[in-house]
Amino acid sequence: MKLLAVLTIVTPHVNYVAILPELILIGGALLLLVSGQLVFAKIPTAFYSIGSGAIAAAALVASLVIWHDVQARGPFTTIADSVAVDGFAIVFLVLVSCILILASAIANDFLVREGIDGPEYHVLALLAGSGAMLMAAANDLILIFVALEIMSIPLYILAGMDSRRRESGEAAIKYFVLGAFSSAIFVYGIALVYGATGSTNLPQIASYLNTNIITSNGVLLAGLGLLLVGFGFKVSAVPFHMWTPDVYQGAPTPATGFMTALAKAGGFAALLRVFFSTFGVLRTDWQPLLWAIAIVTLLLGAILGLVQRDVKRMLAYSSINHAGFILVGLAAATSQGISGSVYYVFVYAILVLGSFAVITLVGGKGDENHDLDAYRGLGRRQPVLAFAFALLLLGQTGIPLTTGFLAKLYVITAAVRAHSYALAVIAMLSAAIAAAFYLRLVFLMYGVKLPVGSGGDEGALSLPVTGEPDDGLDPTGSVPTGVNIGRVVVPVPTAVAIFVTVAVTVVFGIWPGPLVDFVHAAHFLF
Amino acid sequence: MTSTFPYLTTLILLPAGAAVVIALIPSAQRRLVQVVGFVASLAVLGIASAATVAFTSGYGGYQFVSSHQWISVFGISWSLGMDGISLFLVLMTGLLFPIALAASGERAADKSFVAWILVLEAGCLGGFLALDLLLFFVFFELTLVPVYFVIAGWGHERRGYAAGKFFLYTLGASAFLFVGILALVAIHASQTGVTTFDVRALTDTHLSGTAGVLLFLGFTAAFAVKMPLFPFHTWSPDAYREAPAAGSLLLAGVMAKLGAYGIIRFDLALFPRAVVTLAPLLLSLGAIGIIYGAIVAAVERDLKRLVAYSSLAHLGFIVIGAFAISREALTGAVLQMVNHGLYTAALFILIALLYKRLGTFSVKEMRGLQRRMPVLAGVFTLVMLASIGVPGLNGFVGEFLILAGTFLTHRWWAVVATAGVVLAAVYLLWAYQQAFQGKPTIEAGAVHDLSWREGLTLAPLVILIVLLGIFPGPLLNRIGPSVTQVVTHVEVVAHQRPPQVGSPGVALRTTGAQR
Amino acid sequence: MGSLDSYLPIFFMVVLGIAFASLSFGASKLLAPQRPTSAKEAPYECGIVPTHEPARRFPVRFYLVAMIFVVVDIEVIFLFPWAVDSQSLGRFGLVEILVFAASVFVPFIYLVANGALDWGPIKRVRPVESQPDRTSSSTVRHVGPPNDQAA
Repeated sequence: MKLLAVLTIVTPHVNYVAILPELILIGGALLLLVSGQLVFAKIPTAFYSIGSGAIAAAALVASLVIWHDVQARGPFTTIADSVAVDGFAIVFLVLVSCILILASAIANDFLVREGIDGPEYHVLALLAGSGAMLMAAANDLILIFVALEIMSIPLYILAGMDSRRRESGEAAIKYFVLGAFSSAIFVYGIALVYGATGSTNLPQIASYLNTNIITSNGVLLAGLGLLLVGFGFKVSAVPFHMWTPDVYQGAPTPATGFMTALAKAGGFAALLRVFFSTFGVLRTDWQPLLWAIAIVTLLLGAILGLVQRDVKRMLAYSSINHAGFILVGLAAATSQGISGSVYYVFVYAILVLGSFAVITLVGGKGDENHDLDAYRGLGRRQPVLAFAFALLLLGQTGIPLTTGFLAKLYVITAAVRAHSYALAVIAMLSAAIAAAFYLRLVFLMYGVKLPVGSGGDEGALSLPVTGEPDDGLDPTGSVPTGVNIGRVVVPVPTAVAIFVTVAVTVVFGIWPGPLVDFVHAAHFLF
Repeated sequence: MTSTFPYLTTLILLPAGAAVVIALIPSAQRRLVQVVGFVASLAVLGIASAATVAFTSGYGGYQFVSSHQWISVFGISWSLGMDGISLFLVLMTGLLFPIALAASGERAADKSFVAWILVLEAGCLGGFLALDLLLFFVFFELTLVPVYFVIAGWGHERRGYAAGKFFLYTLGASAFLFVGILALVAIHASQTGVTTFDVRALTDTHLSGTAGVLLFLGFTAAFAVKMPLFPFHTWSPDAYREAPAAGSLLLAGVMAKLGAYGIIRFDLALFPRAVVTLAPLLLSLGAIGIIYGAIVAAVERDLKRLVAYSSLAHLGFIVIGAFAISREALTGAVLQMVNHGLYTAALFILIALLYKRLGTFSVKEMRGLQRRMPVLAGVFTLVMLASIGVPGLNGFVGEFLILAGTFLTHRWWAVVATAGVVLAAVYLLWAYQQAFQGKPTIEAGAVHDLSWREGLTLAPLVILIVLLGIFPGPLLNRIGPSVTQVVTHVEVVAHQRPPQVGSPGVALRTTGAQR
Repeated sequence: MGSLDSYLPIFFMVVLGIAFASLSFGASKLLAPQRPTSAKEAPYECGIVPTHEPARRFPVRFYLVAMIFVVVDIEVIFLFPWAVDSQSLGRFGLVEILVFAASVFVPFIYLVANGALDWGPIKRVRPVESQPDRTSSSTVRHVGPPNDQAA
């Protein structure tokens, strides 16, 4: 007892309001999990979906309340400095809430269509969302790691949710094994950084680096490099992208869209905070590294995307290309670059959710109709759906008057301001290459008669179509057997979600003020 | 100028709005689509004409300027303005679009075709009118999408390949323009602290020699591909060949001018020193383009590809005119842009008419058409002569001014370019001889001559070809002051030569004496 | 290198441990009488002699139960330090540990409701909705050489 009296434990002050969005998501997920189990009746999927959407909406409201608070009183930290409540974090809180709301609507129709009962999908999505939020708000390397795991583990399971498709299981295992491996590397990075600086707390590391000149910083740089590997895996930057195409293809399509949006948001939030805010002093050390990674990520994503026939794989490579663009903003290492990256993540998350929502619908029952041929003539059969998809793809291409263009403008401006002209030019060239596969898809939807390069590899660069003469106007004439081109069923909730994503893309593309200002306020705590 | 009618904004928003309206019409209402599309394009022509009438002659600055903040964070504004250089390009654009729709026959009732054409019109007009560099870039890029769809959707056999090649080439090149614009704005911002994309403000940016040259090359890469300028032309024969009549017409008539206009408006204004430094290079490329285009056209047996290569040659003249840095040459280049648009459009329509009758573009399969279609052959002769540059037709005035002006400043390039004029006569007359003369291979009455409708489509172009050949004065009066401003700016900034004594009136009087 | 001095006791401990273990084994090897019989060398010294190898594959349910056990085990591991220090942690500690316990308990309810702890054949608690489009041919994957679907 004497010993205990000596060690007085200082309990940290917890500002529960500051972490309310995360609490709402976790608590809501638990409620949702148990709510259906206490009755002996079959509970409709819609109940869980509405519940999940409502919980996410509550988190959104809570985030906005904190936003208001921070605008009025300035940023602060809580729970022994391990959680930062600043503009940067809240932009991501808002983004994650929006992703969850949209994703719950899209998932609902998928679950109903595939006959998957139970609250598990939504519960896992909410938990992953809380992880992503924590990643954005974490102010301590340990908390970042915990949040990373909270986000990742549900995502591994979501990738394997569709137990009837073998590919889904393969995706889950692949994602899990590689993810666990990268987490281990990440932890090792934390350990090295701790060894070099004596703290895992981000502001303390920053102030240590600001006040001390480290003469031999091998350990610190090794730790930084390992952290980059861990983050690079989450955001699928080359050369840590290997899992991306397989997992995107194998995972159930709504989960793919959700996973892309969420992992990019969470991963980049923490990456930007750690590298720019904490290790900003060492920018001359990590800038060349990011520069190289950004270039290979941009080019590999764009070029390999050209040869894909599976739409999900194609968008997987496109997501790699987009990750490269976001890294361009970080590689600039200016506050404008960070704003650009944040804006890019925001815009891309919305775009990709909408795109995968359309792919979910076209995928049809069994979620297997993902060949390019499935999109042949969609513009004729279902003009509205095709038009929405076309707009989303044009947004990803970066065609003016969409948010995608402004996002590219934002990060490229930052790169140019930082005098990395080569990076800027390569990024725009990769966008031009990537445009080929987006537009090939758009064109397939509107010009039925043209065949796509048959083999996949050969002739793929002479996009968008090989020059065979068309024979007939029959839309089914050139479609290979085995591809279902029947009418795509468009349930109302997904339709609303797609409409919202398209509206955000176009409205804020033409009238960008509000969204740009919102992201512009994403300042770091220090 | 008394009226405050927003001519320029209307010019852009009207076709864009019409495209939206057409997109909302059910596609079964084909006549309605056709009428709305045609009327909208005519309305644009009307507004462009009204703006031309309201345009103050003898003033070189921008008129009808309208400026509104668009994206304040980036300093992007909706700034439009028109001067003597853009005036007639806008008018020509306004004229060519209704003609393109009229020449498209049944396609002009295809909902998406008409909508894309109108979007293209908005994009082209926006490009000619934008005073904000980023706004220009937006329009410059926006034109790609409709052209892609028009070629890929309604083109000939290898349209997919041609459309893809066109798109990748131009989009790839504009990556350089995009980065160049941002770099220029960044340099300007670091000097003045103001982030703006306004061309008028950016003109004052001080650029070091290297920065100027690099930026110039970045800008010019995009414009050179769009024009196209030798050696960036490889997409153009394919795209012109595979595009439908309206597509080729608009590609060569309007879109190519967007590139040339970019060079005159932006390269000359923003990088005068680099222009003077690199002028020999671009003059050489232009001259090579003239000779190369003419030689390839001479052996080309496909009429559409032949016109594509002849366009390459004619655009070479425009480049030479732009980089000769003399008032006469630049005035000639601007005039030639308009003239080339007119006679190339007429040529593409005539080729489309031949294709409709014979089902081929190959000269080898045509013979003695003069006997079977005398009126069409007559119009073809006239347009061809204009293209060759025979005095009395519009092609002559521009080419003469370019060569005369270039001769003053860059003698040897002018000499080489003049050889191109001779070659143009060779390939066009050769092709004409093969196709129209000799013993007819088709039965009398198997094909009909020019119909009233077709004649009416061609009439405005033919009339203008003759009229502008005889009375270029009104155009020169309006183009002159703006050109003087540009040339003076280049000369003053580059400190190469003291500003020449005299006025564009010298050039006008010389041409007047020729009449 | 003075800091290594503090590792000296650990080093001695390790050396002593190894020495004790090898001494015990070595002594019994040297001193004990060795007269092996077949009964002594059998894996089990009592009971029925196994006639075949035991099954290597356990029912998957076993792993489930094991994992549930681990989760609850971890909860106890967390409870233990709290219990030791509950006085000084005060109300803050109590609240936190209750939240923690609740968030482990709720999934436990879910597990029980879904029959994770039921041993034996699965009992369906809820009525199963018949789905006409889910037939044995659509949901069962036939393993083996692919036979043509058209047949």
